[in-house]
Amino acid sequence: MTFRQFVIKNVIRNKRLYVAYFLSSMFTVMVFFTFAMFAFHPAFGDGDINSKALFGMSVAGGIIYVFSFFFVLYSMGSFLQSRKKEFGLLMMQGMSMRQIRFMVFLENMFIGVFATVIGIGIGTLFAKFILMIAENVLVIDETLYFYFPLWAIVVTFVSFILLFLVISFFVTFILRSKKLVSLIKADQQPKTEPKASIILTIIAALLLAAGYITAILVKGAMVVVVMVPVIIVVTIGTYFLFTQLSVYMINFLKKRKRLFWKKTNMILLSDLSFRMKDNARTFFMVAIISTVAFSAIGTLFGFQTYLTGGMKEANPYTFTYSEYSDQTNDDQMKQDIETVNQLLEQRKIKTKQATIEMQYFTTGKDEQTFIASESMYNDFANLLGKKTIHLERNEMIGVEHSSAIMGGYADDEFIDQPVQLENGEELKLKEVIDGVVLPELFAHYVVSDEAYEQLPDPVRSESYTAWKAAQGQDDAIIEVSEMLMDELNESPPFNFQANDYTVYTINKVYGPILFIGLFIGIVFFVSAGSFLYFRLFTDLDEDKAKFTAIAKMGLTDKELKKVITRQTAILFFAPIVVALVHGAVALTALSHFFDYNLVKESSMVLGGFFVIQVVYFLIVRFVYIKQVKNAI
Amino acid sequence: MLQVKNVSKIYEGKVAYRALTDINLEVEKGEFVGVMGPSGSGKTTLLNLIATIDEPTTGTVSIEGNNPYQLSRNDLAKFRRRSLGFVFQDFNLLNTLTVKENIVLPLTLDGKRVKEMEEKAEAIAETLGISSIMNKRTYEISGGQAQRAAIARAMIHKPKLLLADEPTGNLDSKASKDVMEMLVTLNQQEKATMLLVTHDPQAASYCDRIIFIRDGKFYSEIHQGDNRKAFFQKIIDTLSFLGGDDHDFSSVRD
Repeated sequence: MTFRQFVIKNVIRNKRLYVAYFLSSMFTVMVFFTFAMFAFHPAFGDGDINSKALFGMSVAGGIIYVFSFFFVLYSMGSFLQSRKKEFGLLMMQGMSMRQIRFMVFLENMFIGVFATVIGIGIGTLFAKFILMIAENVLVIDETLYFYFPLWAIVVTFVSFILLFLVISFFVTFILRSKKLVSLIKADQQPKTEPKASIILTIIAALLLAAGYITAILVKGAMVVVVMVPVIIVVTIGTYFLFTQLSVYMINFLKKRKRLFWKKTNMILLSDLSFRMKDNARTFFMVAIISTVAFSAIGTLFGFQTYLTGGMKEANPYTFTYSEYSDQTNDDQMKQDIETVNQLLEQRKIKTKQATIEMQYFTTGKDEQTFIASESMYNDFANLLGKKTIHLERNEMIGVEHSSAIMGGYADDEFIDQPVQLENGEELKLKEVIDGVVLPELFAHYVVSDEAYEQLPDPVRSESYTAWKAAQGQDDAIIEVSEMLMDELNESPPFNFQANDYTVYTINKVYGPILFIGLFIGIVFFVSAGSFLYFRLFTDLDEDKAKFTAIAKMGLTDKELKKVITRQTAILFFAPIVVALVHGAVALTALSHFFDYNLVKESSMVLGGFFVIQVVYFLIVRFVYIKQVKNAI
Repeated sequence: MLQVKNVSKIYEGKVAYRALTDINLEVEKGEFVGVMGPSGSGKTTLLNLIATIDEPTTGTVSIEGNNPYQLSRNDLAKFRRRSLGFVFQDFNLLNTLTVKENIVLPLTLDGKRVKEMEEKAEAIAETLGISSIMNKRTYEISGGQAQRAAIARAMIHKPKLLLADEPTGNLDSKASKDVMEMLVTLNQQEKATMLLVTHDPQAASYCDRIIFIRDGKFYSEIHQGDNRKAFFQKIIDTLSFLGGDDHDFSSVRD
């Protein structure tokens, strides 16, 4: 048996020990490869996709690569930590430090090469699937057909072999020679109980509170100004939260004998406090990484909704045709509308159409307010399938937009503005309703048909025609929109809008950014999960020994499960909950910046991540309990 | 109080291994019984069977007339927690807990009141002379102290049966003597029934009675007379027979 054979055998016959490290390495390779495969896709080579998106992708690829480096380094570090005793044993057999370094180097290269090859292999297998997702997210006209990603393979292989080579050197450098005794007794050495300083605990609380309050209170452009200080303050606060505040809290709980000496609490809490030192760093890292992931995805997702959702909210119609002013050429208008209808008929697109003469009246002081009649409103409400209204002669309804994009315009004074008929009679405001039916962004009134007849002369009047297409004709609509936009927009003062098409264009530009953001976010999130996995399984042997001892004394399966579940739950959810709160605050600040309500989007993103974390937790808990039970 | 009847244990596997053959053992209440034998003789297997950590292949073990193997896994755990106490060679104290916390752990798991736990812990610590180290951590105390703490943990809930597996195995002779004297004290004061598995003739000489087993079979049994010195000599003699390969010796009890 040569030295090399020994090293390789040591790895292959010790699969369980290496599997976690191997899998996480493989995962990073897979992610990078997928990205490369995507970036090198021939469909992008034609220059049809804008070069900015491609540039963005290279930057993202770089970020993933750098992150992979630190991730693999960290994984390797914690993996070596758990093997101190083995090194001690080998040294006792007469292995020199040099040889151990060489062994670690060979091992690492062996695992690295395998992880790279298999990662690329699996990546290729899933290639079609990933391309399909990308196609949908990206709104690309060409189909991203499956291709043999030669370039991606070459780039990934070279990059990661290089990465593992550098890390292997790096790791052997880290591996300081320690005293043989301390290596062999690595698992018996007592950990000192962490101490919390009250001052730092208070500082942690203060920093977090200050950061949060600033982030939530600040509005508008100031958000950008305070962003960097808040991030720094909150990051420091988070660090102290885990290293100080948590220790302080656990010690506080431990002092309460009633609580601490209650059933399995004693095992749980004492362990927690002793692992807190190790845990704190992991917690901090996981919390920060997850926060980055949550905020990045939340921001991108929120921004997209802001752009497209806001637009659809403000203008729910498929096509609109309007004039800017009174000086209209009616013939031109009729002709244009006819053009639209002909084309729609020709393409067999089912639409409903409504036209309104929008009349503005002077109300209150000098303000011009749009007033519509009941039947006008109902025409448009029918078009959108919304509820129609019915008014008595002397009643009227106010319409406001509470929808966030219009947020600034909802005004309270609205109610005070009286509407008078020609004969001086004032109309009674029945209620104020919310929502977009008529094509008017500002607050306006709807009066009964009879009252409408008796209104004074309007200040100005505009004609407006809207089409609403039935669902499920998206492709045809986009096609027609493209043609109509070309044809009709050359003739001001008329304005033709195809809203679905506008949204489509935004999505098309925005798609790649969203895709890249999602990708990076998910990479960060999954690696945060891996950190937790490593942390948990470093303690596995210790836990096995501990639970074996307690089980002899008498510990029911249920109690065992309870202790492990709680222990794992704290490990998994403490940093994630902190990250969720951080993320929520960050997204709140973001929504203040845009002045757009992001509650729905934020809760979707954060909730989604939370659900994933719960699933991950359940799987890991199951595996861990099984492992410990087998050992007993 | 403890009855072991015709117990055999066979470990299934690629090569089936017979660890115990037809062992019979009876322990009266308040008795202090030792089990001795060379390495691999099946001492620890026997102890594990009695401790309900393992199950016999054939035969029965009953504690106070009850067969613990009929209990479910959960009830078995509770049975161990309430009726048995364990002392191990390597102490098995949890290093994340203080001595006192380690001692009250069995009561804690059983959900006792804090005040009751405190009182019991103080009382047993007094008996075992470890009151001064109650708030120390496990790595701050000596081996002898650790083993006494472990004994306190095993005795705090007044178990029906205390099982000790090589309790002096990791201790120097002075500490061994202390620990054994403690066990005898508890045996006499608390009327605790004890079963001790050991290699150490010095430790074994504190027992009332010693069972010798070899290759998983009963070999012989000797009783303590009035004199511990003479008993020690008897143990040495038996061990020297036991250790030999010569089967021509007739066993002592004949």
